[in-house]
Formats: sequence, structure tokens, C-alpha cells
Amino acid sequence: MRAVHKRYLREFIPAMLAYVALILLFGTLGPKTEGMAWRVLLALLPLLPVALVIRAIVRVIRDQDELERRIDLEAIAIAAMSTGFGYFSFGLLLSAGVGWEVGADAVAIWVMPCLFASFGVAKLRVARRYRSHA
Amino acid sequence: MHNHVRELRGEQSWSQADLAERLDVSRQTVNAIETGKYDPSLPLAFKIAKLFGRPIESIFDPGSST
Repeated sequence: MRAVHKRYLREFIPAMLAYVALILLFGTLGPKTEGMAWRVLLALLPLLPVALVIRAIVRVIRDQDELERRIDLEAIAIAAMSTGFGYFSFGLLLSAGVGWEVGADAVAIWVMPCLFASFGVAKLRVARRYRSHA
Repeated sequence: MHNHVRELRGEQSWSQADLAERLDVSRQTVNAIETGKYDPSLPLAFKIAKLFGRPIESIFDPGSST
């Protein structure tokens, strides 16, 4: 593994672990917390490690080689368009009165996971285009 | 674009990983260049030419494709 990717994992893994811990903390303590200020604090705390994850991703994209960067940027473009298209379609269906009971908070919270998941799938497909066993 | 990177690497008895390390790129990138699936940028092409001590036009041939 190249140094740039080792550094990425060193930055990404602790940030994701912190995110999971803080989201669990919010899920456990959030409903029991009375004061609005404390609830807001618990809700926003997971954003700190998410910001660190975004920083790690930006740094790895900037520092990897030109083909790796091209693959990642293509995958990000596909993921952004796919997620946007999916959410737009979902919004239109909700506007049409399709009877799904979905909270606005859940819809907003799932934007980033959908973006990351579609990025993963898109990256696999884009990278395959440049791979060869020859 | 056709190129002679694989033959030149073979002459040096380097693996793709060896060449990747010398160029500071991934092995995947070397493989993609050798198989013609990816055309390197001008700076990388010059780096390859310098490493093999040859003019760039003797390594990369824009007139044909693989």
C-alpha cells in the first residue's frame, strides 16, 4: 500500500470510529436529554468526525496519482448525480402523495450515507474500466 | 495511444511495482498505461521518458492505438 493510502487510513479509521461512538451516544442519550441546548450539542457532535472524514478524503484525492484521482473524481461525479437523481425522484413521488411515512429528519440524515454508498459502487465500476489482466 | 513502456520495463527487468515506485504512481496506473487503457499526462510521460533515457516520441506513438 502506498504512503498516501496508509495516511488516508490513519486519518479515516479513527474518525469513523469516533463518528460511530458519537452517533450511538446521540441515539442513547438524545431521547432522554431534557434541555434543548444539550440535545443540539449531542446531535451536532458527530459532525466533527464527519468533517475529519471529508478532510481525509480531500487530502487523499489531492495527493494520489493522476489515474487514481481521475477514478475518484469520476466516481464522485456519478455518485453525486445518482444521489441527486434518486432524491429528486423520491421528492416528486412524495409530492405526488405516495403514502410513505418518512420523517424529514430521516430523509436529510440519509443523504451522506447514500452519497458514500453510491460513490463506492461507482468507484468499483470506473476502476474496472482501467483494469486489465494483460 | 500505443506505447513501448512494457518492452522498456522488460529490458530493465523491472516489475510493474518497481516501475510504479520509481515513477511514484500506483501499480494500477503502470498497468493501465502499458495496456493502453490510460494515456498519461504530459508531465508523467516526460517522467517516464527521462527514467528510460529516451525521447518521449520514441516511447509514445499518438498515431496508433492499442
